[in-house]
Amino acid sequence: MIFKMAVNNVKKSFKDYTIYFLTLTFSVCIFYSFNSIHAQSAVLEVGNSSISYMQTLTNLISIASVFISVILTGLIVYANNFIIKRRTKELGIYMTLGMGKRKMSKIFIYETLIIGGLSLGVGLVLGIIASQVLSVMTANLFALNMTRFKFVLSIDAIIKTIVYFGIAFVIVMGLNQVIISKYKLIDMLNASKKNEDTKVKNPVISVSLFLVSVVLIGLSYNLVLDVGLSTREPLFLLSVVLGILGTGLCFYSLAGFLILMIQKTKKVYLKNLNIFTLRQVNNKINTNFMSISIICLMLFVTIVSLFTMFSYKANLDESIKGNTSFDASAVLYTSQTNEEGDSIEEALDQLDFSFNDSEEYLFFNEYALDLQVADIVSPYIDASNVHELENRADDRNIKVFTLTDYNAAMQLKDEQTVTLRDNELLVATNYGDKIESINRFMENEDAISINNQPYTIKNDDLIMDNIENQPHNTDFFYLVVPDDLSEELTLSGTRVNVDFGDDNREESEAKFAALFDCFNTIGGEFTQEVGFIQGFTREQATAILYGNSAVIIFLGLYVGIVVLISSAAVLGVQQLSEANTSLNRYTTLKKIGVTEKMINRTIFIQTLIAFMFPFVLAVIHSIIGIIVTSDAFATRNKNVIGSSSLMISIVIALIYGGYFYVTYVGYKNIVKNS
Amino acid sequence: MESILNVSKIEKYYGNKGNITKAIDNISFKVNKGEFVGIMGPSGSGKTTLLNCISTIDQVTTGHIIINDKDITDLKSKPLEEFRRDELGFIFQDFNLLDTLTGFENIALALTIQMRKPNEIDELIKSVAATLDISDVLTKYPYQMSGGQKQRVASARAIVTNPSLVLADEPTGALDSKSSRLLLESFEQLNHEQKATILMVTHDAFTACYAQRIIVIKDGKIFNELIRGNSSRKEFFNKIIEVVALLGGDMTNDI
Repeated sequence: MIFKMAVNNVKKSFKDYTIYFLTLTFSVCIFYSFNSIHAQSAVLEVGNSSISYMQTLTNLISIASVFISVILTGLIVYANNFIIKRRTKELGIYMTLGMGKRKMSKIFIYETLIIGGLSLGVGLVLGIIASQVLSVMTANLFALNMTRFKFVLSIDAIIKTIVYFGIAFVIVMGLNQVIISKYKLIDMLNASKKNEDTKVKNPVISVSLFLVSVVLIGLSYNLVLDVGLSTREPLFLLSVVLGILGTGLCFYSLAGFLILMIQKTKKVYLKNLNIFTLRQVNNKINTNFMSISIICLMLFVTIVSLFTMFSYKANLDESIKGNTSFDASAVLYTSQTNEEGDSIEEALDQLDFSFNDSEEYLFFNEYALDLQVADIVSPYIDASNVHELENRADDRNIKVFTLTDYNAAMQLKDEQTVTLRDNELLVATNYGDKIESINRFMENEDAISINNQPYTIKNDDLIMDNIENQPHNTDFFYLVVPDDLSEELTLSGTRVNVDFGDDNREESEAKFAALFDCFNTIGGEFTQEVGFIQGFTREQATAILYGNSAVIIFLGLYVGIVVLISSAAVLGVQQLSEANTSLNRYTTLKKIGVTEKMINRTIFIQTLIAFMFPFVLAVIHSIIGIIVTSDAFATRNKNVIGSSSLMISIVIALIYGGYFYVTYVGYKNIVKNS
Repeated sequence: MESILNVSKIEKYYGNKGNITKAIDNISFKVNKGEFVGIMGPSGSGKTTLLNCISTIDQVTTGHIIINDKDITDLKSKPLEEFRRDELGFIFQDFNLLDTLTGFENIALALTIQMRKPNEIDELIKSVAATLDISDVLTKYPYQMSGGQKQRVASARAIVTNPSLVLADEPTGALDSKSSRLLLESFEQLNHEQKATILMVTHDAFTACYAQRIIVIKDGKIFNELIRGNSSRKEFFNKIIEVVALLGGDMTNDI
């Protein structure tokens, strides 16, 4: 009997439950799909090097999940409270009919079970679908091949999701009991009569506070643009504090300010239901300005971090080009040998390391000029790009390779060789995208002088391929010079580049990876024997390059989407409670002859404003934030910013827009059914 | 005399087959332009249903209601909304003012939803506020006003659009006797000076005696019709009390 009532209640009030159900389902879906990442590695061609990053990612997501489940539980409790409040009168009727509190709690437990079970089921199904999409994305982010498409199902993640949300539902049930046991019959029956307090503020104060908030925000922008993203700088902290204060104050005074402004323009003020809409918005913002400010700031952080992460990743994709050209490469710098004069060839011999028959390899030398990049481009640095070379790690002497070695390396990767005359050289660097002065240098100079001898630059366009695998320091700059010159140059290191051949690739990969891993720490066992050899197989380099960014991006997406959903859900629930408390007003409007169309319009505008106000300010904040972070992370590539903003806009539009629509429809239904 | 409201042979049934309640059972009457008509009846007599049907909130089962030459029983829901907005003014027992709006804004809303011009709105509100003596509460919010002031603001909202018919549902129901008297006097004034046509539903004999004509309803039918004519209010009041007694003493009176 009680169960039947619960089922009927859920059916009857399904429209009320929509936003609750939606939030739950979304949460479950996201929770599952991110926690199933570990299982996704099954379908991917994950090499040993990437596995450790996958493991790190899985661990970090587990930790983040605890934090996120707290947020989601809070959200579920919030949405649940809204539903209970909306049904106080119904509870009152049960009580007058003599139903005990026990039975009422039972109804609520059943209802929570039904809704919870339903959303858990639907959420898991959606999550399983979403995780397939996510595994494609994982493949993309880790730069892995998807060997075959296989359906991924993670039992672990399913169990984890059920346990976490089960706990959340138990908490909700417990809180419901507390709420029900506290209710007094008289309050329940009078619930619908209680009116919201209307807060009226002095318009003059509102306007001056609003102006103050604008000044505060402006100051904060100004400061942060000046100092940049330096978290230890007191001015940066001051800017954050000013920004938060300004945001809060802005929402505190915004409504009053708007009313005064709009009252002045009679054409807008005295049109349709604008008076009513304005007062509703005013009332809402005044009562909820705290939560609106917090939501605005959360949105701001989410947008900036999503954006920064995507640009970081895209930027990385750009800089990785040319840095993984060889199956394996290694270097032994002269400064890091055990015995002076040792070459890498001798070192490998000492370690009894031998090459297989299928492997092709090339030993060659690296020379250094007594010259730095900054020295040759310095005439082309002006005020606009004075900082360009800062933070670029390459303050070491310019590397030089001989033509023979360079051509041999080109052959090793099956590319065309080049010829040079005695007084010519080649410039190879990937700085072109980032450092404008290099391009100007290339345009205006046709020679570089080495040992007071000018060498003509043969190539018009920069060579964009590195001569080694380099995942850590992806910026490179080197010259290729005629063989003769090598006698006049200082040797800085000896190198080996390897092509694994077509057979036994996996075996070679494992062999070299193991070798390089032994040198991972300076001072390790091998290092004591032969010095520090720095080497990477292609797979290792890729894993390092993509692994870190993938971990950051996954975590960022996970937290970002949850925050976005929470903000949108809180706004939605607020708006629907607002609909409940102002039901009388809509009834009055209907009675004095306001058409349904007009009522729907004012509901639309109110919902739009409720969603847009925090969003617009968050976007304005974000623009400044993105300028600051892209300065800090050196995202100068314009295309990168364009493509990532499109992605983020789509995600935000889907989630935020979806909640907006559901809220609008829910609001309309509440008013319509009154 | 031109008739504003013409109710002819309307019936309103509730319920379904085999269990029909006739809330209104064949009622016909007319209200002329500039008249102040009261509708009285004990509770359950069908007076609220009648008012709901006239105010287009409810629909009749059979019969016709013609207001200002338009048959509202024929109108579809959309033109009906517009009709209600443009031709009718409402005054309710519990005022139904919007608590978030000032007096001025409450009155203005009735005009803005008719898409009137902003300049016009200002002037209309000023003049109606002067008539009803509420000029000094225009900037106040409902919670800052007394009950009488609230009801006069509500009345101003009802008549500011110059509707064909003003419908008042127990307008004095939530007021003390002094405020009631003040309000009813302003109704009389509106009726005389602005030629407003008022149809007022009440169960209170004192409130009813301000009307020029009273239609008494019992069990969904017209039970009696009283016309004040040239008699004084006192005489009319006594006449009403007699009818009330005849109805079975069902109705209360405060005097």
